[in-house]
Amino acid sequence: MWRAISTWTAEVRWIFAKEWRCELRTRYALNTLGLFAFTTLIVVSMALGGPVGLSADARPFLAVLLWVILLFAATAGLPRTFVHEEESRTATQLRLAARPSSLFCGKALYNLTLIFALEALVTPLYLVILEIPVASPGAFVLSLLAGGFGLAVGSTLIAAMIAQAGARGPLFAVVAFPILLPLLKITIAATLAAVLGEAADMHLTLGLLYDAMLTVAGLMLFPAIWNP
Amino acid sequence: MTARLTLRFENLHRGFGRLRVLRGVSGGADAGEALLVTGSNGSGKSTLLRCLAGLAVPERGTIECRVDGRALDLDQRRRAIGYVAPVADFYRELTTAENLDFFGRLRGVGAEAGRRLLDELGLPHDRLAGALSSGMLQRLRWAGALLHRPPILLLDEPLQNLDRRGREDVLRLLDEHLASGLAVVANPDRLDLGHVARHLDLDG
Repeated sequence: MWRAISTWTAEVRWIFAKEWRCELRTRYALNTLGLFAFTTLIVVSMALGGPVGLSADARPFLAVLLWVILLFAATAGLPRTFVHEEESRTATQLRLAARPSSLFCGKALYNLTLIFALEALVTPLYLVILEIPVASPGAFVLSLLAGGFGLAVGSTLIAAMIAQAGARGPLFAVVAFPILLPLLKITIAATLAAVLGEAADMHLTLGLLYDAMLTVAGLMLFPAIWNP
Repeated sequence: MTARLTLRFENLHRGFGRLRVLRGVSGGADAGEALLVTGSNGSGKSTLLRCLAGLAVPERGTIECRVDGRALDLDQRRRAIGYVAPVADFYRELTTAENLDFFGRLRGVGAEAGRRLLDELGLPHDRLAGALSSGMLQRLRWAGALLHRPPILLLDEPLQNLDRRGREDVLRLLDEHLASGLAVVANPDRLDLGHVARHLDLDG
């Protein structure tokens, strides 16, 4: 039993390490996510005409805009996780060598670190450029972690689905819509509550539950999606 | 002691939409044997190998692999297979040794096995897979397939792009494999493999 768990954990670690090693040599996802997020951030700040603080006009949009930036950047980079395996014809070797569950977790872990890095880069810039004070920093960070986790796991599952289809670009948006919409709605509410210092517990609990549901669904569905 | 190993497939059917590729194909091989599958382009050789590898599901028919009388399930069969095919490539961003190290670890094999195979096949350890010539890439496919000493080798056009030395090297490795394992070899024309015990012509 312990040996099986240890082997599985090692497989996840090797897949995660391989993803980062390939990424650091091409920097495809890092550049795509970073540039997309930075461009959107500048466009948003210019459209709002500079710092908005907590003005009554801007309040409803503060959390929405942050998550739109994060979602768009993630959508530009994360679907590549499995598409790259199919396009470079490494999926066949991977299907024969790796257990589906360890592959899913290794890829999701890699996407998770990408999203967290993106959040760590974009969020402080967003808050500084728009001069937004955060009333509950702890709840704010928790909302980012919960949203990022769901975004990473959900994107991994969707990426596996679309990798085997023809029209991959538009398909990601179509398939992601029903899966990520509830997550974003909950997370945006949690982030806004944290910024304004209102109670965010309920939203955060819902977000964590949705994350757990996505993870279980991903682990159950992935073998059927990945293998013929 | 050599394990009793058999691979049998009966009445396999597989198509793509309205195109029927495999229509009632049957065959098999035992330990120490190579089954040679020949046929013109589009006759279904690669599709047959993909079905045997568990990478495609036949619409009808059965595939059975037994080791010492025990039938392997689909996951066990996938792990018992070494696959050489034009569609089975390696990470272009990683070196030959890093690629074999990664796939070897997933299959429970240490880095040493990969390095030994690279030496046997005359491949550099530190060259990126994306910078390999087509012949060197084919040698790397062989190294990847033999890495975990699988009992079953599925070889789709295994001599493609290889020079004379490369052909000699891989045929020697195939000989060593057939001392205890079995192989299914798909090629448009007949190959002189020495160990071919059975022949299946998909055009016939």
